[in-house]
Amino acid sequence: MKDFNPVQLATPIFIVTIILEIVLARLGKAKANYEARDTAVSLGMGLFSGAAGLLTAGLVVASTLWVYEHRLFEIPMTAIWAWAAIFLLEDLTYYWFHRLSHERRFWWAAHVNHHTSQHYNLSTALRQTWTGGVAGTWALWLPLAFLGFPPAMIAIQKGISLVYQYWIHTEAIRRMPKWFEAVFNTPSHHRVHHARNPRYLDSNYAGILIIWDRLFGTFQPELDEEPCRYGTVKNLATFNILRVAFHEWIGMAADVVRHPRHALGYIFGRPGWSHDGSRDTSVTLKAAWRQQQARAAPEPEAGT
Amino acid sequence: MDKAYLIQLAASTAAVSVLVGLAAWAKIARPVGPLNLARAQELLSEEFPGRSLDQVWVATDGAGALARSGGMALVLCRVGDGFAARQIPWAQAVSSSFRNGRLRIDLSDISAPVATISLPSWPPKDLAA
Repeated sequence: MKDFNPVQLATPIFIVTIILEIVLARLGKAKANYEARDTAVSLGMGLFSGAAGLLTAGLVVASTLWVYEHRLFEIPMTAIWAWAAIFLLEDLTYYWFHRLSHERRFWWAAHVNHHTSQHYNLSTALRQTWTGGVAGTWALWLPLAFLGFPPAMIAIQKGISLVYQYWIHTEAIRRMPKWFEAVFNTPSHHRVHHARNPRYLDSNYAGILIIWDRLFGTFQPELDEEPCRYGTVKNLATFNILRVAFHEWIGMAADVVRHPRHALGYIFGRPGWSHDGSRDTSVTLKAAWRQQQARAAPEPEAGT
Repeated sequence: MDKAYLIQLAASTAAVSVLVGLAAWAKIARPVGPLNLARAQELLSEEFPGRSLDQVWVATDGAGALARSGGMALVLCRVGDGFAARQIPWAQAVSSSFRNGRLRIDLSDISAPVATISLPSWPPKDLAA
């Protein structure tokens, strides 16, 4: 059980389903767009993300084991209630990890590459970070070990979450049944998360359960009248995989060197934050969009 | 590195090559025809909402566009089957190098280093000031 690796087991499924999505799109049976260089970058990022993770794996494992040694409770890996509990707690942890990764530049620098494709297909799911270990977000899962969940259990549940999130990166599935859309993260919800339309920014951070977004006020349904435009606010004008992996880190470092007095803002502010307000953040973009909507809306008739 | 890991990496690399080849073969990229003035204006408005467009120059091959908006130049360039946009000071756009009908604009951005736009001439005589 301790050697169970959901991501490794699912890899053949990833390959087969990408082939299926491409072939069905080619035959006109499914909605999907693939651009060869974009696909190469997505799959290349996925291919080397595991290798990049090895650089910090020792630190992550050692930290988790150390925290587990000081655990509060004994949680058996064989108990069903323990799996139910870790399912919920890991998914809640993922929500906050994901939200932090979007709302603070230091962690956005590690996560942004997942959003750099202007496409939304199964290969996009594999456009994984190379610098997540360096960003240190793995520390957010340490409280689970402190509670007493065995490290192997945490790793397995993280793997299950990652595999779950693979299939939702598609335009081929429009909507799931209503009850499913209400509870789970779905292709429709996650399309919104990958969209760069101002209305859709900073929403739907869920991993498996969409209930966290509903609970914490970040849920945004996909609207038929506003199709998703994918990518980042400032799309990349390159397919250079090194630029894709490191551009935000380099941009952040350049900002800190140029404006050392405002270093904290450039590192821990929202993505797009600037000391003179000359750049846009998701907050300013959304505010401008709301103003534009209000101006465009017809004025109510007098007396009504 | 252990042998099993290297074998796994080699197999994954082969699979990635096959998938990229399949994606190229399928020709299912987004249909993106050459830009015309209306489409360029529409994209620029999407990228820079609320900004006035004083004048727009569309690339002769339809793969990009350049607009003047006050003191700024709004640059639109094709990336695969999509577009990327950046803004730079107008003076910087005017002084960009122009050779053999191609304007090479340094965007000074690590994620969008350079935009190349085909134009009949540059800078425009009436707006070069």
